[in-house]
Amino acid sequence: MMLRPLTIAAIAAALLAAPTAAQETIKIGIPVGLSGANSVVAPSVVQSSEFAAKEINEAGGILGKQIELVVADDNSGAQGAQRAFESLVYEEKVDVLISMETSAARNAGLPIVNRGRTPYIYTSFYEGRSCSPWMYINAWVPEQQVAPIVDHFMSEYEAKSYFLIGSDYAFGRGMLEFTRAYVESKGGEVLGEEYLPMDGSDWTAIISQLKASGADALITSTAGGAPNVTLTKQLRAAGVDLPYGNLAVDEGTAKSMGGDATGIYIAASYVTGIDSAENKAFLEGMAAMFGDDLITPNDLSVPQYEAIYAYKAAVEMAGATDAQGVIDTLDDVSVTGPRGTITMNAQRHAALTMYLGQVQADGTVNVIQSFENVDPGEQCPQFAN
Amino acid sequence: MANLALDMITTSAILFIVASGLMIILGVMKLINFAHGAFLTVGGYAAYLTTEAGLSPWLAPLLAVAAGFGAGIIVERIIVRPLYHRPLDAILATWGLGIIIGQLITLGFGREVQFAASPMTGTLDLGGVEYSAYRLTLTAFAIAIGAALTALLYLTRFGLNARAVIMNETLARGVGIDSARVRSLTFGLGAGLACGAGALITPLLSVDPNMGLPWLVNSFMLVLVSGVSIPSLAVASLILGSAQVAVSTYVSPIIGGLTIVVLAAVLLRLYPKGLGRGM
Repeated sequence: MMLRPLTIAAIAAALLAAPTAAQETIKIGIPVGLSGANSVVAPSVVQSSEFAAKEINEAGGILGKQIELVVADDNSGAQGAQRAFESLVYEEKVDVLISMETSAARNAGLPIVNRGRTPYIYTSFYEGRSCSPWMYINAWVPEQQVAPIVDHFMSEYEAKSYFLIGSDYAFGRGMLEFTRAYVESKGGEVLGEEYLPMDGSDWTAIISQLKASGADALITSTAGGAPNVTLTKQLRAAGVDLPYGNLAVDEGTAKSMGGDATGIYIAASYVTGIDSAENKAFLEGMAAMFGDDLITPNDLSVPQYEAIYAYKAAVEMAGATDAQGVIDTLDDVSVTGPRGTITMNAQRHAALTMYLGQVQADGTVNVIQSFENVDPGEQCPQFAN
Repeated sequence: MANLALDMITTSAILFIVASGLMIILGVMKLINFAHGAFLTVGGYAAYLTTEAGLSPWLAPLLAVAAGFGAGIIVERIIVRPLYHRPLDAILATWGLGIIIGQLITLGFGREVQFAASPMTGTLDLGGVEYSAYRLTLTAFAIAIGAALTALLYLTRFGLNARAVIMNETLARGVGIDSARVRSLTFGLGAGLACGAGALITPLLSVDPNMGLPWLVNSFMLVLVSGVSIPSLAVASLILGSAQVAVSTYVSPIIGGLTIVVLAAVLLRLYPKGLGRGM
């Protein structure tokens, strides 16, 4: 009861302030896992967002309006995401949400996005088939990522039997279910599929099962950050040296993991070694802006950067920031960025060029093969063009 | 099968290392140190800083023990001692201390995962079974820690005083034992053991501000089940650690993570005073 006058004042202030504020800037909400499982990669995503905003603002903004970023920590999980999305959509009243998040966080945030009718570009690779009238996705799904690794293991190592290890959440299970189906469709066999909770760190029993299974190859799909690190460390400590495909490691994490990451296979839509003018300009601009604090740009931070440009292009084509207009034009605009030219016109997803790489002893990723414009397949048929 | 046995033994050894500091403090001070998890985390960061400074990773546990001992003495003097006669408040104070340490680490190092170098890699061949060399080394460390603590309690003046305080503090004071000094050293020792344990488990884990938390819960359960005695802590570690590995292997690793907590509750129903009968 004590709060009532204050609340009324706050609502009145918000009502009075909102129209003018909306005229001055375009607010981009970035819910991201600064704490929790995504905390290793989140800072790089914030950096690439800041870089995109700086570039766009220096070039005159979007339709003459400056971009304002509002970053909110989603704690890499459902509860934190609910708070972050509520606050961004209803309190900050952002014009768009552009974010790299865990699948748990995305799934928790989507109902709020749908209720708040806010355009949402999801920029993290994920397990696929998440559909909302308000969401676009510019990162890869299993159809695009698993095939290069499994195909390589089958041809290079003649690996027939596979062991799958993951974190127990939507991405971990989704990726490995797809991997199992893909391996079996290619005539291979899955000997085991084991999961640990996202905050679990003791992989002892699973690693023993892996060793006992006699599998030819190992494919893992953990949450990024801590689970990925603990699993890889314990695998190496147990002397596991099978062909090892990791569906959730990025270049930067691989680098900081040192020798333990050596030999891991990854498939990504972005590696720093892409030889294009756009990628060179991007890397130089990032280095100039952040200097020694630069976190290596990666397959999560680059889609984030490109998504901000995709939003800019959509607003400019629509001529306004109104949500429905932006959603209607997002699949018509193409953005040429560090990963090449990308259009989100494949059932709200995008065809991507994928790179199969192997982590070297010095932490760099050696590209073994690239696959042009890999199609995401059937993701959201209700949004087929 | 041999591999399963090794998993059980090494998991138990790790639990023993992690829980020993908590038990020492409980024994002498009748205090569950809820900052134990935070001390483990401090040990992990000590290992990280050791690596960053370019020193051998083998030094990390030693430096962590030294840092933990010093910090423990200070914490005991400032926070725990004024609350001697208010045991519940003292427990709450250690809980708060744990939160403060966690936040200070977050402020200093950020929330992200840090990487510390491992002192050794690869496997050892044990009669046909390849097994993680570091886990075997940890088992040796666990035995060494158990032996050293036993020696400290039964072969030194400090140990005699500590056992006297454990048995009957009032009587111990009556015969001239400086129980405040015993408590202070014990808290330092417990904190040092916790930090050392944090540094020791780091090569198998990631260093982040919450790394100690799951271990606090498991250590707490272990110490409740074992009571205050080194052999019974070893037995409790073996029972609960083996059960966790067995359930993870034969049922599901997800349920395996709950084993220690559930089994501890069952054991406490059967043995309300714990397995041990005092040191």
